[in-house]
Amino acid sequence: MNPMKRMFHRHTMTSDLSEEMQQHLEEKIEALVADGMSHEEAVHAARRAFGNTTLIEQRSREVWMWPLIESIWADVKFALRGFRRNILFTITVVAALALGIGATTAMFSLIYAALLHPFPYAGANHIVNPRIIDEKHPQIPTWFALTPAQFNSFRKAKSIDSVLGFILADLETTGSDLPEDVSTAYVTSNASSFFGIPAMLGRGIQPSDVPDSGQSTNVVVLSYRFWKDHYSGDKTTIVGRTLQLNHKNYTIVGVMPSRFTFTETVGNADVYIPWTPTRAGALFPWIKLKAGVSLATANAEFQSLLNQFKQETPKHFPAAFRVSVQPIIEPYIHRTGSTLALLFASVVVLLLIGCANCSVLLLARGEARHHELAIRSAIGASRFRMVRQLLIEAFAISFAGTAMGVAASFWLAEFALRMMPYAFPQEAAVTINFPILAFSIGLALIAGLLSGLSPALRLSRPNVSKIIQSTARTTGGNTSKRTTNLLIGSQIALTFVLLGVAGAAIAGFLKVISTRLGYDPHNVMAIRVPLKRDTDKNQQQRANYINQLRERVASVPGVISVAVASSGIPPSQPDFGLGTIGPFEILGEQPKQQPQAAVSLVSPRYFATLKIPLLRGRIWDQAENQRGDFVAVVNQTLAQRYWPHGDAIGHQIRILSLKDDGGPLLATSPQSGGLRQIIGVVADSRNDGLERPVAPAIYVPYTTFMWDGTELLVHTAGAPLAFIHAIRIALQSLSPDQRTAEVGDLEEALHHQSIWTQQRLFSILFSFFAGLALISSLIGLTSTVSFAAARRTNELGIRMALGAQRSHIVWIVVRATLATVGSGIVVGLVLDLALENVLRHWTPGSVFTPWMIAVVAFLLIVCTIVACLFPARRAAMIDPMVALRGE
Amino acid sequence: MTLKSPKLPSEPRDLFPGALELMILQTLHRQPMHGYAMVQHIQQRSHDLLQVEEGSLYPALQRLLKAGLVDAEWKISASNRRVRTYSITPDGTKHLQREVSRFEQMLEGISLVLAPAKG
Repeated sequence: MNPMKRMFHRHTMTSDLSEEMQQHLEEKIEALVADGMSHEEAVHAARRAFGNTTLIEQRSREVWMWPLIESIWADVKFALRGFRRNILFTITVVAALALGIGATTAMFSLIYAALLHPFPYAGANHIVNPRIIDEKHPQIPTWFALTPAQFNSFRKAKSIDSVLGFILADLETTGSDLPEDVSTAYVTSNASSFFGIPAMLGRGIQPSDVPDSGQSTNVVVLSYRFWKDHYSGDKTTIVGRTLQLNHKNYTIVGVMPSRFTFTETVGNADVYIPWTPTRAGALFPWIKLKAGVSLATANAEFQSLLNQFKQETPKHFPAAFRVSVQPIIEPYIHRTGSTLALLFASVVVLLLIGCANCSVLLLARGEARHHELAIRSAIGASRFRMVRQLLIEAFAISFAGTAMGVAASFWLAEFALRMMPYAFPQEAAVTINFPILAFSIGLALIAGLLSGLSPALRLSRPNVSKIIQSTARTTGGNTSKRTTNLLIGSQIALTFVLLGVAGAAIAGFLKVISTRLGYDPHNVMAIRVPLKRDTDKNQQQRANYINQLRERVASVPGVISVAVASSGIPPSQPDFGLGTIGPFEILGEQPKQQPQAAVSLVSPRYFATLKIPLLRGRIWDQAENQRGDFVAVVNQTLAQRYWPHGDAIGHQIRILSLKDDGGPLLATSPQSGGLRQIIGVVADSRNDGLERPVAPAIYVPYTTFMWDGTELLVHTAGAPLAFIHAIRIALQSLSPDQRTAEVGDLEEALHHQSIWTQQRLFSILFSFFAGLALISSLIGLTSTVSFAAARRTNELGIRMALGAQRSHIVWIVVRATLATVGSGIVVGLVLDLALENVLRHWTPGSVFTPWMIAVVAFLLIVCTIVACLFPARRAAMIDPMVALRGE
Repeated sequence: MTLKSPKLPSEPRDLFPGALELMILQTLHRQPMHGYAMVQHIQQRSHDLLQVEEGSLYPALQRLLKAGLVDAEWKISASNRRVRTYSITPDGTKHLQREVSRFEQMLEGISLVLAPAKG
């Protein structure tokens, strides 16, 4: 009967069976009654003769079941029974695998949450940023904005599924005592359908908010954070309350959920308000491409549209540019892709170590089970059957390890996500979901196979006659010893590699935190001060106003020094514009390479506030500062690069980027792009991030080039943020609606540097993984030595009885293992050196030094010696009489 | 199934695997029968030396059905009862012949080994 038919028949077979057995009993009873028994007696007798009906039915049914599954289940039960008998062994192997699987699953969860599926928005894979690249500054891409009319024709492009138009604006709360900044996003009325995320409370912005008349209703949707901070999470009455912004009342219609943080790339919004042409004259398009449209196709179509738009509004676009829309995940991949790849590689190494460890332990246990296996083989178990049994044991271990590892992985992934807050999308959230479970089940299968296959093949071929005749103790296959040694050696080598990587990461972090800054961030804060947009374009008036702001802040008690710095806060450069490295000219010189420098717009007090020493010459005075033109101070790097003989002072330079480019919000001094004389040289301070060398820098008076905002650096007598209230009041005394925007402690800002957070996370995670690897390897090592010693108890007893010293016994036990460990360390060292260049590429922040490798090697050697000596000493402590009697 | 030996104290012993199947096939080779009748037949033929635990017949029948050595069919018996009647298939007949000759060989071997112990 074929299997299909059999399956189909299974049901009828068994129902026939019950009936048949019933018939049998009845017939028997009738026969017994006919022989003269009472009916009751006959029933009992028939039952007795028939036997246990349930059991018989069960057994009959089993005939029809799948023998494979049944017997696998039997194997599983057998394996579990074996594990229960040997709890310590079980805990050790399961833990060895759980460490590796847990860490690997955690990294996969992190990658899944941060890079593969971070955004909750509908069709997030197709959403792109509207990026264009200015041919003049190709390294600094920008976004393009459109006028309402342009937006309307743009949204009809063939490549586009839908577009969200948005623009950010700074509004402030009014109607309460102190005005507060509210970052507002004006979004087109299709926002709800574009994002596909329902509001947490109330509703999102919807098309009916902007009727065809164009007169929008005054409604506002709050972000989760704004709702928490300003309404303390009020759930019951929030919808319908009124929020007054810039003297206008808005009705709160909804609150978005916490994962909705649109969008970090351009600055998070506190509230969302429907866009109308009267509210803002331009829109950034957030574009959802149609499925299947390639980036190249979209770029080509948008390029021709934007070329038309440029004819209408030439000022909105660079002279020469190309469209290069960017999937929203791309910036993050750029930032953290290689970090995550390396972390993933390291947990895979950890997993391999775990598998090797598990193999070693299974082999060692198998040695002790030789007798059992030999008997099974002798009574006719096939090789296949025994391999299967041993593999099933390995799978049972790997699945138990996976269950534990997956449970732990959630916390580990969360931890990593929290530790690098600026590196991952804010929307990212670690969840345990189907792809991650599928991944971990895959891992369990691979781990089970990797760790179980070699012991299974090894142990399933016992030399039956030899084993059964001899006692268990004295035997031990040479080949399996070789396998064990190979596994132990590779474990040690891989552990060395991981320790090397961790050591390099820590050394890199130490280097970052001990970087000589060249300036003193202690008790200094930066305050961004927005200036009114309608301020006169008169340069002198604006310069005066900024100077007055500076003086008001300086008069606050406890403020030691105040400086203006309107082009970036150390140690970084701003993302674009002035302050980044750009070209300048040196009068009378035609160097082969265009001179490059970062241009900083500062006040003379800048150097004193940050304690940057003046090396030669002088700083410009107050009058020169007011004028803005003709003077410049350079840093030592620049002075030495172009005037190596120390004669920088007196030379003339020109910075064309300071020229008035006609931008609407700009005020410049008359000669801002003209010649300037170098009047002083200051010491170097970090101006290009912590990890890169100091860039050549030119300092010029801030009055030469002013936007609608500036920044004040305030050095205070204590923790700077405590002074912020007094400073705000001082600024308002100058002008009642003078606000302050972001405030940041310069010392803290160092910790937000991506190299800082990244290197810190690297150090912690790599050390953690390397630590796990070390523990794992040491467990493997200790158990191998223990098992080996236990197998030789008999021999050791004889040696001791014959007068061997305990130290000699210890030596005998560890001798073989030490050789293995030694070769493992040598291989690891070679691997470390070979991988150095690769790792240097992947983790530019890490530092590889021979000194660090030596420390790691020393640590590993000490640990392995301890791990070997511990069980060896125990073996040497046994009483020889007991050992011999054990026979 | 147990083998009742008059000489040994009543220590039940399993027959060798397949013995019951062999007896079933032999019984059915004579004529198709239902379960109860088969038990009666085996006990009578062995002069009650073989006490079949009646129920143990059924797992054996299922094994034979599955192997295609017997067929089953619901019929009305002589005593006017609906019974499931088994009959041997051609495969079953071949199997029976093969097994019987193997069994005889084995029995001969065992007797040869046991002979000196008796003497």
